[in-house]
Amino acid sequence: MSPILKLFALPVSFIIICLGVLTILGGHITPGGGFQGGAMIAAGVILCVVVYGVKDSPIKFSHDFISLIESIGALGYVLIGLAGLLFSGFFLYNVGADFYNILPQMIVNIFHYPDPTNAGIVPYLNIFVGLKVFVGLSAVVIAFSEFKK
Amino acid sequence: MMLHLGPIIFGFIIGFILGTRLNTNSENAVKLTIASFIAIFIVILIIAWQLGPYPYYDDLPIATGFVSSAIGLIVAKLIFGK
Repeated sequence: MSPILKLFALPVSFIIICLGVLTILGGHITPGGGFQGGAMIAAGVILCVVVYGVKDSPIKFSHDFISLIESIGALGYVLIGLAGLLFSGFFLYNVGADFYNILPQMIVNIFHYPDPTNAGIVPYLNIFVGLKVFVGLSAVVIAFSEFKK
Repeated sequence: MMLHLGPIIFGFIIGFILGTRLNTNSENAVKLTIASFIAIFIVILIIAWQLGPYPYYDDLPIATGFVSSAIGLIVAKLIFGK
């Protein structure tokens, strides 16, 4: 790719990645969420892969990193769901907000997301989905771009 | 005024995770110095100001999740980056 693109791509991918993180973190009260934000982060990574190539890309995801983040995303989602099952009897019950008042306040405080919206576990689910999606989509593009003719 | 810690903490964590993978000293890639990161950070502050207190927060006049993710990216790059 041309030097202009190489100069331009990394700062822009920085900004796209930060916008993706912002989309994930606002997912409980605005349009967007884990999948959309994760796709935006992956777009930043893919921009670097397309412009610099897989081998010279400034944002490199190793196989171990991809499998680790995928596992954290999937396991975190399931574990938060199991926390609801454990404390309230319902899988994925919102233990951070407790709309039915069936949990002790201490457990609600543990899972409460620290912002004024009383969203409970929803932002955490968004974060885990976002982690899973950004490595998943990036892995697809990295795998395709490593194919040889 | 109370600072909402959720987007600040988790924005930093996600940015930090991504920043550990940054490698700006590759031969074909453009080399980014600390001055370049400062310039990018100033641009990010301007964008965060234009975004406003997203999403509907009222603690600071900037998008805190956006800025904290950028800080996480840069801090992780400076600590773990190659």
